[in-house]
Amino acid sequence: MSAPAVELVTVNVDGREVQVPKGTGMIETALAAGVEIPVFCYEPRLGPPVGACRMCLCEVEGMPKLQAACTLTAQDGMELRSAQTSAKAAEGQNAVLEFILLNHPLDCPDCDKGGECPLQDLTFRWGPSNTRMHFPKRTFEKPIPISPTISLDRERCILCYRCTRFSEGVSEDLQLVAAHRGAQSIITTFEEEPYRAHFSGNVTELCPVGALLPSTYRFRARPWEIDNTPTVCGLCPVGCNTWATTREGKVQRILSRNHPEVDDGWLCDKGRFTFDHLRAEDRLREPLVRVRRRGFEAVGYDDAVREVARGLREAGGSVAIAFSGGETVEQASALARLVRQGLGGDAAILPDDLDPAVDAFRAPLSAIRDAEICLVLGDEPVMERAPIVDLWLRAARRAGAEVVTVGPAGSVSTPPGSAAATSAELAGGGGSDELRDAGRRLREASRVAIVWSGDDHDSGRRAATLAASLGLGDGSGLYVLPRSPNGRGVAQAWYEAGEGRGFDPSGEEELGALIVSGDEAAYDPRVAQLAERARFVFATSMFTGDHTLWAHVVAPGTSYLERDGTVVNLEGRAQRQRRVVDPPHLDELELLARVGTELGVPIAPWAAEATVDDHAELAPRAQLEAPPEFAPAASTNGAGPGLELVVYRPLFSGPGVERVESLAFQRPAPEIELAHADAQARGIATGDTVTVGLNGSGRALRAAVRRKLRPGVARIAAEHADGLGSHVEVTKA
Amino acid sequence: MSPQPLPSLKGFAVTLRQIFRKPITQEYPEYKRPVYPRFRGRHRLNLHDNGLEKCVGCSLCAAACPADCIRVVPAENTPQNRVSPGERYARIYEINMSRCIFCGYCELACPFDAITLGNEYELSEYHRDDQIYTKEMLLAPPIKQVPVADRERYDTPEPVWKTES
Repeated sequence: MSAPAVELVTVNVDGREVQVPKGTGMIETALAAGVEIPVFCYEPRLGPPVGACRMCLCEVEGMPKLQAACTLTAQDGMELRSAQTSAKAAEGQNAVLEFILLNHPLDCPDCDKGGECPLQDLTFRWGPSNTRMHFPKRTFEKPIPISPTISLDRERCILCYRCTRFSEGVSEDLQLVAAHRGAQSIITTFEEEPYRAHFSGNVTELCPVGALLPSTYRFRARPWEIDNTPTVCGLCPVGCNTWATTREGKVQRILSRNHPEVDDGWLCDKGRFTFDHLRAEDRLREPLVRVRRRGFEAVGYDDAVREVARGLREAGGSVAIAFSGGETVEQASALARLVRQGLGGDAAILPDDLDPAVDAFRAPLSAIRDAEICLVLGDEPVMERAPIVDLWLRAARRAGAEVVTVGPAGSVSTPPGSAAATSAELAGGGGSDELRDAGRRLREASRVAIVWSGDDHDSGRRAATLAASLGLGDGSGLYVLPRSPNGRGVAQAWYEAGEGRGFDPSGEEELGALIVSGDEAAYDPRVAQLAERARFVFATSMFTGDHTLWAHVVAPGTSYLERDGTVVNLEGRAQRQRRVVDPPHLDELELLARVGTELGVPIAPWAAEATVDDHAELAPRAQLEAPPEFAPAASTNGAGPGLELVVYRPLFSGPGVERVESLAFQRPAPEIELAHADAQARGIATGDTVTVGLNGSGRALRAAVRRKLRPGVARIAAEHADGLGSHVEVTKA
Repeated sequence: MSPQPLPSLKGFAVTLRQIFRKPITQEYPEYKRPVYPRFRGRHRLNLHDNGLEKCVGCSLCAAACPADCIRVVPAENTPQNRVSPGERYARIYEINMSRCIFCGYCELACPFDAITLGNEYELSEYHRDDQIYTKEMLLAPPIKQVPVADRERYDTPEPVWKTES
């Protein structure tokens, strides 16, 4: 495929000649010429310009009136004069600012945007120095919490429509709209419903004034009092680049840091608002050691290290680790070396175990947007597992790509748990007509993106096989979504530390010692079962939880904002996580280094300096050594009475989110999603209370009818599925 | 006897003469000389007539401060707890007087005339911690500075600003 020839045009901006590709926006053209044109509403990531704010007024040769530069594109021979050389344009901009400020309250000392406010800055540079407005300004009730995390101040709004364009054209949640007309226009949500969307927090960053602000940052700090640390979010496998704002040693907010290949400057609400869990009340602050059966006693680190070393040494090589998948590579490597080299164990529960073959089809996430056709496979909703990937898929669809979703709720409907079988059918050209058709189009397209979002342990291998058989070349990408934020890095670190490939936790024999690393692992029921068989359990975790029932030594853990190290995201991109604030105790790596000293394994107590750069590059593709073969796909869906239950792990779940009060509204409601046909057969409508369960022993949940869902399938969030089997009967209560 | 008796005697005569004059030195702290009206001393936080604080906790004073001695932590006013007229107020307002250089930039930066520099200059303490003035201390009316001794006992020249105006 060859790139289309680019036609260069010559544009004159303020007397400076500049050559740009034809059709470039005038703001970028002027920037290329070294001229800054001030803007409020213009934001190329939000789609086509709207010219709402008129801040970019410029004089264009041959046009009698001032033009909004953001709506113009570069044409050959164009002569543009900005406010810097044209008095007419300067007067126009001055007047626009005076007009914008007519109803804008002068409460900058109260406003949290003060100091980092584009309206302040541009008024200072281009605007009037005084006001002629001596009449009462338009007032509204303020602030209005449009969601528990965002507050809206309508007085300050300058109606640039950035937020509504984001809601309509990027996240496509269609919840934020502009109502009424003229001076009475307001930004609002439908019927005062809260703005409940996975990406709602981005509007607070887009807003060029203090109209939409995060409630969590309300009156916390001023721009000159804060430190911004560049880091990487550690809450999902995407690894969005972020700025963490701290004041007086406390995290106050998280902002996105645009990595055009990973996140395009967007950040989900989980990444943006979960930081509050650092200050959770039930956080562990000192090591705890079990004292007989009574309970725990807080001890110093010296005692804890001695106790851990003793317990591990007595295990005699029968040692297992349960990883969370949130650890840094350095931490995982330290644990792996401790067990494999220091104790001679070779058992680990890895949250993700991707086959290295997927690296042969590695591509940046931004390649999804440029794809001609995208294939999404698997039962787990992409939005709940790696939200940014969903945003890229939406961008691809807007750019004209076809997005084929295959799964129980997909455009090609398949039974749950059949992703493996479906991929074999796609590769072999079999299956239903729809699937055969999709397979043909995938083979014909030159740029393909395959997103695999399932819990199958072999998914990496199967996905790579599918990609190989479809002949994915340059410009195409394969994205297997791991379960955990750094699952790939953890698995890599584990395999690098020694031989052997994990183990089956479902044995019966006694275990010498078990190391539980992190809260996610501590919450895992498999790990709890394993712990019952272990003579000694050492757990690190941030919060008190169930594991305090079965662990012998518990050391306080750190959050991703409190440690330094490398994380590997779903693309296979190694990125640097930086310590933003100091943990209230020793960090895990330091503790492991001290345990290592006791056991004779040298472990560096800190991550190596500058493992990767700020904007990490993606490593080149690996060579595919031998085209992998299709392993026979075991069908996981068994027949049973009633509806087959698909349990997904919602994005807003996990030990961190559970401890953030302001995110409670984002967590899934206690409802069960039903297919239209099933609901109709049972006389259920959306909003009805239904009884879910078998043999009459059920629980009451709210029903939500989904037209896309496959008949015979019901879907439910994991946190409401406790105790429900693979099949349930749903009856109207 | 001094090798130069005459100059010595002259000196004694001067001393003898001064003994019967009023002293030109001022006894501090018995007498405290009034300061000039634009003297920059200890800060004050001012109140509105209705008792609400003028300060809204915008931190502009902290931004202007070259010695970085002001710390402001704002909070939100609620109907139950209204401290200032706006949306926010200063929950914590601290000035570290041992760092302050009394430049008066905070007063210039303040958009609400909430902080002004007063006339007090007696700010010594036995402990450094006591040099950090809290909001309550800054809000309190200043201790009145009055000369404690009879002014007539001293031969103090009138300040220039008083003689000229």
